[in-house]
Amino acid sequence: MERYILPDIPNFHEIDVYEQHGGYSALKKALGMNPAEVTDEVKKSNLRGRGGACFPTGLKWTFMPKDNAKPKYLCVNGDESEPGTFKDRQIFEFNPHQLIEGTLIGCYAMGITTAYIYIRGEYGKWIKMLQKAIDDAYAKGYIGQNILGSNFSTNIYLHKGAGAYICGEESSLMESLEGNRGYPRVKPPFPAQRGVWNCPTTINNVETMTNVPLIINKGWEWYSKIGAPKHPGPILVGISGHVNKPGVYEVATGELLTDLIYNYAGGVPGNKKIKAIIPGGSSTMILRGDQIEGVRMDADSLKAAGSSVGTAGMIVMDEETDLIRVISRISKFYYHESCGQCTPCREGTGWLWKILKRFETGEGRMQDIDLLVDIANNIEGNTICALGDAAAWPVQSMVRRFRDEFEKRAKRSEAAAA
Amino acid sequence: MPTVKITIDGTQIEADNKRTIIEVAREHGIKIPHFCWHPKLSVSGNCRMCLVEIEKMPKLAIACSTQVADGMVVHTKNERVVHARNAVMEFLLINHPLDCPICDEAGECKLQDYTYKYSTGYSRFDEDKVHKPKRIQLGPHVMFDAERCILCSRCVRFCDEIAGVHQLQFIQRGDHTELTTFPGEKLDNPYSMNVVDICPVGALTNADFRFKARVWEMSFTDTICQGCARGCNIEVGVRNNETLRLTPRRNDDVNGYWMCDHGRLDTFKFVNAENRIKAPMIRKDGVLVEVGWDEAIARVASELKSFKKSEVAALGSPFATNEDNHIFQRFVKEVLGTKNVDFVRHIVEGDEDNILLRSDKTPNSIGAAEVGVAPVEGGMSFDAIIEGIHEGKIKALYALEDDVAAVPGVAEVLPKLEFFAVHAANENSTTRYADVVLAAATFAEKNGTMVNFQRRVQRLRPAVTTLELDRAMDGFEMSRWDKFAAHNDKWGKGPRRDARASWKIVASIAAAMGTKFKYNSADEVFNEIAQRVESFKGLSYLKVGKKGAPLKAKAMAPVHA
Repeated sequence: MERYILPDIPNFHEIDVYEQHGGYSALKKALGMNPAEVTDEVKKSNLRGRGGACFPTGLKWTFMPKDNAKPKYLCVNGDESEPGTFKDRQIFEFNPHQLIEGTLIGCYAMGITTAYIYIRGEYGKWIKMLQKAIDDAYAKGYIGQNILGSNFSTNIYLHKGAGAYICGEESSLMESLEGNRGYPRVKPPFPAQRGVWNCPTTINNVETMTNVPLIINKGWEWYSKIGAPKHPGPILVGISGHVNKPGVYEVATGELLTDLIYNYAGGVPGNKKIKAIIPGGSSTMILRGDQIEGVRMDADSLKAAGSSVGTAGMIVMDEETDLIRVISRISKFYYHESCGQCTPCREGTGWLWKILKRFETGEGRMQDIDLLVDIANNIEGNTICALGDAAAWPVQSMVRRFRDEFEKRAKRSEAAAA
Repeated sequence: MPTVKITIDGTQIEADNKRTIIEVAREHGIKIPHFCWHPKLSVSGNCRMCLVEIEKMPKLAIACSTQVADGMVVHTKNERVVHARNAVMEFLLINHPLDCPICDEAGECKLQDYTYKYSTGYSRFDEDKVHKPKRIQLGPHVMFDAERCILCSRCVRFCDEIAGVHQLQFIQRGDHTELTTFPGEKLDNPYSMNVVDICPVGALTNADFRFKARVWEMSFTDTICQGCARGCNIEVGVRNNETLRLTPRRNDDVNGYWMCDHGRLDTFKFVNAENRIKAPMIRKDGVLVEVGWDEAIARVASELKSFKKSEVAALGSPFATNEDNHIFQRFVKEVLGTKNVDFVRHIVEGDEDNILLRSDKTPNSIGAAEVGVAPVEGGMSFDAIIEGIHEGKIKALYALEDDVAAVPGVAEVLPKLEFFAVHAANENSTTRYADVVLAAATFAEKNGTMVNFQRRVQRLRPAVTTLELDRAMDGFEMSRWDKFAAHNDKWGKGPRRDARASWKIVASIAAAMGTKFKYNSADEVFNEIAQRVESFKGLSYLKVGKKGAPLKAKAMAPVHA
């Protein structure tokens, strides 16, 4: 299919090239519309957030209060830190102006005069590239006062994170932006009620905002027909692990996972069998290799298969993969990144990892298997933010779908001990 | 106030829609366990102990941050909630040291209590615990054990929101998260020790009290802080007849849940101090020597009789109770017949804040004035009395509990007196000049009332026994230790002083001079105050109760005087 998020045009990241190919025309069109019409257009397009939760973007925009005297803010989440996820950085590198244009359109639709793009601090090269794009857009009058001669003014600030995964969680992102320790906030109040600086705030993912100019330019009907009807549009899929051509691929939603692996990513090296895949970043539930036939990269299909789209960062593991090491490493990540604020995640993530580490080093026991699930269950749903869930799901799904691996390991250690 | 109807554990409740489930439940006697929530602090929502089930909501919700809504049906004790609580308790305990036997908090520890009440009593944790620093001096008065900390952030929020200083913060992440002070900062503010009270575990301990006693060995008596005119409501912790600790007692009209470090540390140690006046004393050959009460009283009576009325002056005390001051002023006016009576104000201008501290450093200046410790018309005020001593007009002085010699200019004139009797609990600069020192019971050893700066009458209760109180166990609190320990462990074994409440001493002197004041107890004196003093009308010890009662407002002066 034709690529809309990462079009195959040389130097598309340069503002002149972007303009030559119709860049910023969506902004011009939007400024000629009523802000509510813009929101409505996005709502009808059925665009769903690309940050992991697949929440309908247009609906989110309508949560912003209309009769509130306080300033309103937009935060564009580019903290991209989920293991297996590396798609937003392609946008920073290859199509930053479409992100900026989408951000401006979102600001116009919601009556926002300040937008922050919160970017992962480790993205040194891409921070520079995005800042250059922002500067160029300012110079051409797309950002700033009276944009394109209209009454609409807005500023975009690039804000660097400082290396915490938790700051990609929207409420910690706001805390971090305010200069505070990256602790998630208790919800409610939700960001649209009380967000950055206690003002109404909307937080959208980088890829989500990059979709917005397409919808404005080509209309919601066009957009909603791309890919899976309930989760339409182009989507960036990051494929890593045991594939011949790892990378980020732009496809329409609803692409078969097997197509993604075998056609786009060139299949598994050595033609080995697939033991497991993690479809949408490390927090999404792991699927057995024999579960992926007919499953598609969209919210409904992956939900039915027992997982989720997440950030569409797919990790492929061949038949020789030691899944105990995989889950141990994933758990170590969530343990390391747990902010420590609320009890179940703070204490539970470390406990999970310590047990899994024992399995890895040959000290796992039979009774630990159910204990792992129980600890994960006790974290899930009981925490302030979704990091607890993100730590629990991989463990739950790994035990559920690969219990035999744990049992084998436990038996071996028990035999060695005896 | 828009109200909503909600159901908690089957009980229908009407509540203000701005309130949270935990607040509404609490007001209706339904206890929802919690660590991080505190009624006077912002909601943090981190401990997850108050998770409850709300019908039609998929996940459990925290009661501390969830506002009530019409038709809400809440379950705080069902299986799902109990399971979640067990899980939170198990999580909290996996890295918590099992050092209750050597922990100061044991016996008054929320984590310990909840472990008995809300946990399974069994841990599945088989791994190594996380280790963190111990014995950290966070500030001059507070010690910290990071391993015991459950990271509830109450102390952080207290400093930020109540004390108004940003001194505490967390560093590191996950189960390595640690409380610390900001670089270059200490936990050092006038209210720092309140964090010890609100710490739900033994992480923050009172550097002054720690290791002095197990709390279950102590009795706790409700009384009033003597540190300033705020009159913070407090508990006195006593073991073996020694005061060991003061802690604030909740009174939303006076001090909320708090008290200042000065009040907590500097206003009780004199009760146990080495320089305590243990019995009445008379100066013989220039040296104060202990004598019996009869001798001391007879001496004061005969000396005071020997002067002309105009040669005698008397000083009441803003540190003494209303009862003491009332009997004192009656004695001065009716028995001595002198007009020269007043008391010393101890105001430190500017030394106050908008939290608790008051510039009036005495607990009962309003009460002393209110019951009538003031010059009779034509009589001398304090300054005039001092001037009178200097000029030789005043030859005898009788003073209640106050270190008047410490007031600038006073010590120089005291040697000119022909007779000086003073009530005192401790040796001080004033007792050095006294001919007779009458051993006064401290605030911790007597019944009585004081009036704070808000004109609120509040009760003192005896927490420590004197020789005299031993015979009249008036209003004593007893500890488990007092009640059940072996004979040789009982509080009676501790030091007991031959001290008496000032009003009793004054009444004895009056009797020796031929006037009988007939009161059996402090509350009888109070009843007389209530009859005679307009602003006390209608009050009694019963009405004053544990939390005090306002004096009647003063009649407003006419606008056009």
